[in-house]
Amino acid sequence: MLKTVTRAPDVRDPLAAALVAAAAMAWLFTGDFGKEVLSEVAVFAIFAMSLDLLVGCAGLVSLGHAAFFALGAYAVAAFGVFVNLPMWMAMPLAVAVTAVAAAAAGFFAVRLGGVFFIMMTLAIGQMVYAFFLNSRAFNADDGMAGIGRVDFSFLALDSGEPAVFSAFAVCAAVAVFLLLRMVARSPFGHTLAALRRNEPRLRSLGCPVLRCKLAAFTLAGALAGFAGALAAQHNGFISPDLAFWTVSGEVLVMVIVGGMGSLSGAALGAALVILLRHHLAGLTEFWVFYLGVLFVLMVLFAEGGVAGMLSRLPRKLHRRGGNV
Amino acid sequence: MVFLIQLLNGLQLAALLFLLSVGLSVVFGLMRFINLAHGTLFMFGAYLGVACAAAFDSFWAAFFLAPLLVAAGGAALYGILLRHIRRKSPMQQVLVTFGLIFIGFDVARMVWGRFPYSIAEPAVFAGGVQIFGQVYPAYRLFLIALGIAVMAALYLGLEKTRIGAMVRAGVDNRRMAAALGINVERVFFFVFCLGCGLAGLAGVAAAPVFPVFPGMDMPILILALIVVVVGGPGSLKGAMFGSLLVGLADTFGQVVFPEFAAATIYALMAAVLMVRPTGLFPAATVH
Amino acid sequence: MNKKRFVAALFTAVVFAVPAAAAEPVKIGVLLPFSGVYGGLGSDQERALGLGFDTFGRSVGGRDIALVKADTEAKPAVGLQKARELILRDRVDLLVGIVSSAVAGAVRDYVHNAGVPLFITNAGNDLLTGARCSPWIIRTSFSNSQIVRGMGPWLHGRGYRRAFLMAFDYSAGRQMMDAFRDSFTAAGGAIAGEEYPPLGQVQDFAPYLVKLKSAAPDVTFVFFAGPPAIKFAREYAAFGLSSDIPLAAAGWLTSALHIDRQGGEVDGVYSILNYVPSIANAENAAFQRAHQARFGRAGSEYGVAAYDTARLIVDALAAVGADLSDKRAFLRAVHGVSFNGPRGPFRIDPATNNIIQNIYISQVRKSARGGVTAEVLDVLPDMRDAAGGCRM
Repeated sequence: MLKTVTRAPDVRDPLAAALVAAAAMAWLFTGDFGKEVLSEVAVFAIFAMSLDLLVGCAGLVSLGHAAFFALGAYAVAAFGVFVNLPMWMAMPLAVAVTAVAAAAAGFFAVRLGGVFFIMMTLAIGQMVYAFFLNSRAFNADDGMAGIGRVDFSFLALDSGEPAVFSAFAVCAAVAVFLLLRMVARSPFGHTLAALRRNEPRLRSLGCPVLRCKLAAFTLAGALAGFAGALAAQHNGFISPDLAFWTVSGEVLVMVIVGGMGSLSGAALGAALVILLRHHLAGLTEFWVFYLGVLFVLMVLFAEGGVAGMLSRLPRKLHRRGGNV
Repeated sequence: MVFLIQLLNGLQLAALLFLLSVGLSVVFGLMRFINLAHGTLFMFGAYLGVACAAAFDSFWAAFFLAPLLVAAGGAALYGILLRHIRRKSPMQQVLVTFGLIFIGFDVARMVWGRFPYSIAEPAVFAGGVQIFGQVYPAYRLFLIALGIAVMAALYLGLEKTRIGAMVRAGVDNRRMAAALGINVERVFFFVFCLGCGLAGLAGVAAAPVFPVFPGMDMPILILALIVVVVGGPGSLKGAMFGSLLVGLADTFGQVVFPEFAAATIYALMAAVLMVRPTGLFPAATVH
Repeated sequence: MNKKRFVAALFTAVVFAVPAAAAEPVKIGVLLPFSGVYGGLGSDQERALGLGFDTFGRSVGGRDIALVKADTEAKPAVGLQKARELILRDRVDLLVGIVSSAVAGAVRDYVHNAGVPLFITNAGNDLLTGARCSPWIIRTSFSNSQIVRGMGPWLHGRGYRRAFLMAFDYSAGRQMMDAFRDSFTAAGGAIAGEEYPPLGQVQDFAPYLVKLKSAAPDVTFVFFAGPPAIKFAREYAAFGLSSDIPLAAAGWLTSALHIDRQGGEVDGVYSILNYVPSIANAENAAFQRAHQARFGRAGSEYGVAAYDTARLIVDALAAVGADLSDKRAFLRAVHGVSFNGPRGPFRIDPATNNIIQNIYISQVRKSARGGVTAEVLDVLPDMRDAAGGCRM
């Protein structure tokens, strides 16, 4: 029998298309509550995709990514509430602040290899958490309310409406997806991928490895900050536990469950984990346990996550079809 | 005088951190494997200590049994899970142990509920002793002594025994050690279980001082990780100096700069890594 | 508002169109932490809430009371998600719960804008019934300053002149210490020193206790709750301080939830709180008896707030004939309710929506049965917050 060498169609872009379609359906056919969940999923999809740039693309596992999520949220609140800037200006400023902070943190972190990078990021995350927990300007542990949303009044739309804000959040997620896909396909993205596979070789080829890692860390941090800025607007509220290690852990779960190295997989993971949480939490108070088990199993047995399974699906079907 | 008392406070934290970080550090030196669930083992040491103390109505029963139980748990963990992921990338290994933190947290809640426990200190160390003209809790002095004793035992074990030599050889160059006929995998298993046992010991020793509750593991895990990063991985010396530095910096940070108490440790870590990216006394190359 | 009216009208139409259908139950969303570190408090309140409805009525005016649980995990973002879920998806009529002030802060604007009455059963931040008060948010537990305000004059009256203050560096800690400091200095006392350890780290109180000892105060006043409270009390005794410097505390230091796990180290501690299990009145005896019978342990200050909330809701519903079509009328009915509960006289202050209640000063003593219990020394009746910051 001749072995067919036809490549299975890449399901990942179809997956992205399917996700956008699902978001559109959710937006059209659910009530206000569905749209609130949709906003949440979109925000976490951005957050997870930003982490996937580090984990999936560059092979840098960060356990402190929530630090930048929180920084973005706090920065947008600071510009919006203390400086009284409109959100259209506060948001880019918050992203810029987060980028600077990520570059500073990355300066320490990326010099450390492998496991030490992981530990360093965990410590950075807890440091940011401790900082906000003790920051009286932001009401410390009580958190701060009264954060406005972007103003769409020039389009005669009220961003306070779930329908408007969720549409905005989904568009933002799509934009981040396109941006990150562009990055992943650029020479820089290829360098990152090579870095993940064989760092010593890349180093010996004269590639400025540290600078590449730092750039990836900064970009990922800035996008996490963007997600945080959106989350702050969605909730109208910020509090220190945005930076807590469990948030970093949960977003990593999203990336792993969805599939490392696949941007749309990360977005899918965000949707799955958030929906699962809404449903599991109603069934058992020990849902963290099940989340942990799912996480361990995914790491052990399903390296590509759900996106990986989906991408193997057509091949399997194809094979089965060939046998008949 | 007050300074000396504060020094004792710092040493007591350092002793606890040493028990916790030495296992992490040496296992990493040997196998490039970091067990993020080490804090969870600390927590289980404390809980098992509570259970044993209740069952036998004796602190000392708990003190000796709980570390053994945790070490056995570590052995089981190794046999069931970790052995099979030895071939996977270090990243996946870390992620699996990270997942175990989530699981451990909820298991503690399922078994022991959500209310805090503690153990009464043993009668010998129950009161306070007069030292530097002040009353100081005797149990805290015991903790310092325990840290020093374990350190001395580990030093002798590493330097003077055959298995200690194997461990050192494995840390220096794993492949060479394996080529010389040392069963590195078995040495690793031994060191891993010992590290787990020490984490359990730290847990049960901390139980009379720190309340035992689900979630007690994370703050101390972070400190232990900082000790490993600051001290430099893989060496006893690194764990020792790292613990001292972190323990003292934390205590004096709270006394001298109470406004910045939350940040002292992290500032220390950043400062050390600026000067020495691989920590103070690295025995193992980091990359 | 119009939309809501429309939905309500639609609802009524449906109900009348199907004559066989029973009256719709009153749906009450229960927003409590069941997982995470505060899980113990959440389940304690949930049980007591259930006990309360069983005691005071599972149905009012022909409508059953249906509880819908949601786990806030004591995380603000999750709490807000769950509040949305309960209001938008489950369409609850009322909300009950909230342990953490941060969660209360997160849901405050949403609940206020949605116009759903929320009964807070724990979160004590002064602002929730102060500057950030809302006509829709009623607090049946306490405000931080309400609890400790009486302690300053009381200690001064007992001859203590120099106090040392200590609490974690967070809002509740700061608010309680501010309230105590104001009341103590107003009575003529002086502050020997204050320490605020950072929250959320490996906690060792030893460095602070050494500082406290050097300051040589007459009395120490602290606020700690949960595991750190147990630890603080132990270390205070271990450092030999309890024999020299009397310890006074906001009563969570020796909470009914864990006083049975504390021992001689808290003997003699003065505590101030809105409830201790040893209060002598018929309602408290009934509450403790029922709680002990059903759950096998004493009811706590957390539980009693949930228990009283059930009674408040049942009474207010009865006053409006279980008709919630006019929520403002229901809120007026809430202000009209008053009863004697386990904590003594209970009513809601219309000016702030905070509870008006007795505050109890007690001392921990070794009990005849071997453990320790908090015995009431003094009652400060009808403690009420100034309406200052709150404008409905």
